Amino acid sequence: MNYASRAPRLRIVMRWLGTLVALCVITVLLARRDSSAQSSVKSASAKSASAKPVNAEPMVRIPSNVAWTVQVVNTASGGDAFRGLLLARRCNHCHGEEGFSSVPAFPNLAGLDRLSFWKQMQDFRSGKRSSPVMQPIAEGLSARDSADLAAYFAMLPTASDPQDNRAFPQAMHQPPRASIAIRLIVFGDGQRGIPPCQSCHGPVSYVKGAPPLAAQNGAYLEQQLEHFSDGNRANDINVRMRSVARQLTAEEKTAVSEYYGAGLGPGVNSR
Amino acid sequence: MKKKIGFVAALILFTVAILSTRYYMVDLPVYHFLGGGEVLDPATLHLRGEFVESNLGAAEGPSGSLTVRMIAQQFVFVPQCVEVPVGVPITFRMTSADVVHMLSFLGTDYGLKVVPGAITEATFTFAKPGTFKIPCHEFCGAGHYAMRGQLNVVPQDQFASLLPSERRTCELR
Repeated sequence: MNYASRAPRLRIVMRWLGTLVALCVITVLLARRDSSAQSSVKSASAKSASAKPVNAEPMVRIPSNVAWTVQVVNTASGGDAFRGLLLARRCNHCHGEEGFSSVPAFPNLAGLDRLSFWKQMQDFRSGKRSSPVMQPIAEGLSARDSADLAAYFAMLPTASDPQDNRAFPQAMHQPPRASIAIRLIVFGDGQRGIPPCQSCHGPVSYVKGAPPLAAQNGAYLEQQLEHFSDGNRANDINVRMRSVARQLTAEEKTAVSEYYGAGLGPGVNSR
Repeated sequence: MKKKIGFVAALILFTVAILSTRYYMVDLPVYHFLGGGEVLDPATLHLRGEFVESNLGAAEGPSGSLTVRMIAQQFVFVPQCVEVPVGVPITFRMTSADVVHMLSFLGTDYGLKVVPGAITEATFTFAKPGTFKIPCHEFCGAGHYAMRGQLNVVPQDQFASLLPSERRTCELR
């Protein structure tokens, strides 16, 4: 092999490089053509949403206007906690000084993660989640205000001060249905299509928009599970929580709610 | 000369590899560069397109064909239960809202891989009636082992007697 004499090494290298560059250019061109076609469709539908029907089907039910794209996640999680602290004064009356509400039917906001809090505020604003109390309040908040509040409440410790907040935990004793609750929280029930609570609500793992339940009020949880299963609350993306809640029996709903409401759920103090 | 043959062979192999993805069960995202498949944004499935929640489940096409649309997501299939008639070709169209999932219809030879951003389409005919569990077969997260759906294959006359509202989904037992 003396191809060095047939062609200089540089020329061989350049030939290969040229081929490589040509392949890259072709790939990039194809990719650009593909993505530009998509983005033009997207911008057209965004610009004239009323003029052009989004879907051919007339009855399209949209559960929530929030979609976890990168921009939305950045907006929801990029709040200023100090500004949130100032805004949170108007929440204190119902949801407590430190995010622990004095009424069991109102949710505790301490230690909620930013995305789930922000999504609920957006859903109250757009009417996707209905509440006669929260809808007018949320309408007065911008997306940035909600993000700031979310940053503040996410900072609060999930262990309540027993001298300040006597409402939570509601009962420190072992609830009577604790074994049912532990089974559902830790293992779920695969035969009936019920994933374990802790695989989405923490602390084992989280999915976007699922609130941590460790410091939540039992009465509020039970009420929300009821609403999910009978369809009164339908703002969960892709029917996730509705599917699970529909599979739970009334006793199981009570058991899980009591267990979390007693402050026994996994993940207390861990965030 | 030898090198040129090698180069041409490599090009041909590359082309064959790309083109052969068309015949996989899965519509691989690689193929979208060539304009062959459909691209979905897994984050916006519930806003637009064919996987909005009112469009999920079994639906009859114009020529009487049956299409089942499902979303696989951490850690439930939506809808969780589908009822279909026996002996009729059924087209499954599936996509994922988060990570790769895989499912099989326990007791049959059929299975599907579900990839975020792509639509998996396959047509199956179920030969005997019965209840088939649909477990997830690709590790998808902490609740993976409890991710299970159900397919009820019922006799054709029983399926025909169902109301249209009952055909989309069924109760998981």
